[in-house]
Amino acid sequence: MDSPDVESGRPAKRDEPVSTDPEAAREASVPRQRRPPAQEQASGAPGSEAPAGGPAEAPAERFWRAGRLEPMPIRKLPKAPPSIHILGPTVFLVALGVGMGESYMWPRLVLVFGPEIRWLFLIGVTLQAVVMLEMARYAMATGESIFFGAARVFKPLMWFFFITAIAVYIWPGHLSAGASAFERVTGIPWQATAVAGMLLVGVVFTLAKVVYNLLENVLSICIGLLVVGTAVVAAMVGSFADLASTVTGMFAIGYMPEEALSPAWFPIIVGSIAFAGPSGMQQMWYTLHLRDKGAGMGAHIPQVRGLRHAGEQESMPSRGFMFDTSDSAEMGKWKGWRRWVAFDALLLFWGITMLVTISFTVLAQASARLDPGVTEVIRDGERDAALDAMAGAFSAAGSPVLGTVFFLFIALIGLNATLGLFDSFSRGQADMTYHFVPGAKRFSVSKLYAFFLWGLILFGIGVLLFGPADGPAAILDVLAFLSTFAMGAYCVVLLLVNNLTLPKPIRPGIVSNALIGFAALFYLGALFYSLFAFGVVVS
Amino acid sequence: MGARTAAPAPAGGVLLYAEAALPGAAIGLVAGSFGAVTAALAGLGAGLTGAIAAGMGAPLALLGGVYGVLVGRGVVAPGAIGPAALFWVVAFPAARLAEEAFVAAALGHGAVLREPLLSFLLFQAMLSLGFAIGFLWLHERLAPRWFHRIRSRNPVAAALSAHYAPPPGRPPRG
Repeated sequence: MDSPDVESGRPAKRDEPVSTDPEAAREASVPRQRRPPAQEQASGAPGSEAPAGGPAEAPAERFWRAGRLEPMPIRKLPKAPPSIHILGPTVFLVALGVGMGESYMWPRLVLVFGPEIRWLFLIGVTLQAVVMLEMARYAMATGESIFFGAARVFKPLMWFFFITAIAVYIWPGHLSAGASAFERVTGIPWQATAVAGMLLVGVVFTLAKVVYNLLENVLSICIGLLVVGTAVVAAMVGSFADLASTVTGMFAIGYMPEEALSPAWFPIIVGSIAFAGPSGMQQMWYTLHLRDKGAGMGAHIPQVRGLRHAGEQESMPSRGFMFDTSDSAEMGKWKGWRRWVAFDALLLFWGITMLVTISFTVLAQASARLDPGVTEVIRDGERDAALDAMAGAFSAAGSPVLGTVFFLFIALIGLNATLGLFDSFSRGQADMTYHFVPGAKRFSVSKLYAFFLWGLILFGIGVLLFGPADGPAAILDVLAFLSTFAMGAYCVVLLLVNNLTLPKPIRPGIVSNALIGFAALFYLGALFYSLFAFGVVVS
Repeated sequence: MGARTAAPAPAGGVLLYAEAALPGAAIGLVAGSFGAVTAALAGLGAGLTGAIAAGMGAPLALLGGVYGVLVGRGVVAPGAIGPAALFWVVAFPAARLAEEAFVAAALGHGAVLREPLLSFLLFQAMLSLGFAIGFLWLHERLAPRWFHRIRSRNPVAAALSAHYAPPPGRPPRG
């Protein structure tokens, strides 16, 4: 249970403020982290007489006891940055979230059922924005991941996610989808692109000094190009009528054609709602990215380094930290952090996901107008054929360049998702392993990160070279059930963690709790209804 | 960290502002030539590729540069979405209109637009929000590095670089 002084001796980072303003100077008096006195550690053990609902007082150091694990020392909350600067870990959620759902599944549903079906997308993305805010609540208040929070409530919950992550995310389906699109443009076999891409990701993350900084830079450029590019292309091929129907369709609340409730379509619609924005465990990993960004109390936790710089990796404290919620100045800073993350969640995450999917829907509607046969191909549901048809429609209309652009967007989405997923998976598994696998602390976090990263890469290459050869779509479809189940499960965990382990002044309100509870019912209810009523899993 | 007040032009003004506006212009150029790059990949003729590149790339590069100048002058707050969205809601439809006219002229087409002018402009204005966010996202990522790099010789960049000095993140080490 080492609790080293993570601040001392830590090399200066590019991220660190160098301001001379008085507020920042006052912040410089943040007390150093110290090992809790032995008697304090003992007092946090199960059965201790910790007062509930507020920080426990101790002569030398104060702690917040949450659940049955080690108590969190009280530290200063850093001042929140201004929210107008659109830089932050949201880029990871956008990179992971803008995927096949936005580029293919929802445009497909619009062509089959009409733009009115998009109200379900609005519901799905809005729920995800609320989940994002609640994930951030725990991560920013403690500097711990949501996995650690789950372990504070009930350790088997954390192990459930550890195993689910391996079961769901070791398959390289997300990568093969983008690589297939790249094959359409260049003719290079998708397996070769996928293997080369995985090796490249492994080498780059291994050489990076601080993995987070590198990845945030790369993903920001990729997402920026995607957003700008889709807007430009949609502006060139779409029409006002396409856009107007796409936008107004989002507010046709309650629209549900009979066919949408059929055994053929209901599971697809449930899967599409799950794929609206980040799916599966991506929201849980967001808590790790917030921490590495230094959001809230994450500022007291060192960043994960690439394997080549593992020697410079600072020791990871054995638990997070809490701020003094009885101090009005600290609560003022907390409100600043909540504003910062709300801006990220609502404008950037929600807004960008909406904009990209609107652009893709406009593209799909334009392609169907140019070639009505596209609708039939898309209705049949074979993804590769549908993507071919959408690209072909643009080409047939005298703009072959647009078919190429369309495939390049799909390839770019695949690249973003691959970069984000490889990092996120390794980060999450390394975090859980470091804290909860006996003896793992003898390795640094950067070594554990590298272990999971290269394990994922080697397994992925093995599957691509020797696994089932029935194409990438089959791999993606199998993951949908588990992804949806994990989403329902993390909503339940979120309710427990935020309401049981946080001090009362920063617990979620009734509205947030109700929305997260609704999300849990929605994901799990629709999933099991589909399973028992129709005998099919979501797809 | 609000909007800076409009500053009087420093000595050697225009070139200094132009230099500070380069990231915006570069992003506009890249966005505009997005189609042209892929046109080359798709094996289209040099004529059509050039028409797309010039028709879209030049106006967006110019307007991206204008945005950079407005930021340098303090008219537009760096990193703020509202002013950027307002700027592009006018600039993006204008750039698209210029591109449609240029390509039609270059290819000898009689009709410039496929739909009525008002619908066209409204459609472009609505999509401009997406473009504005993407543009700003890239600008916030690239411009601070550029300002930092040229700040010793360019007072406009130095002022902007100072604005970006305390980024979000970790507290000073105690």
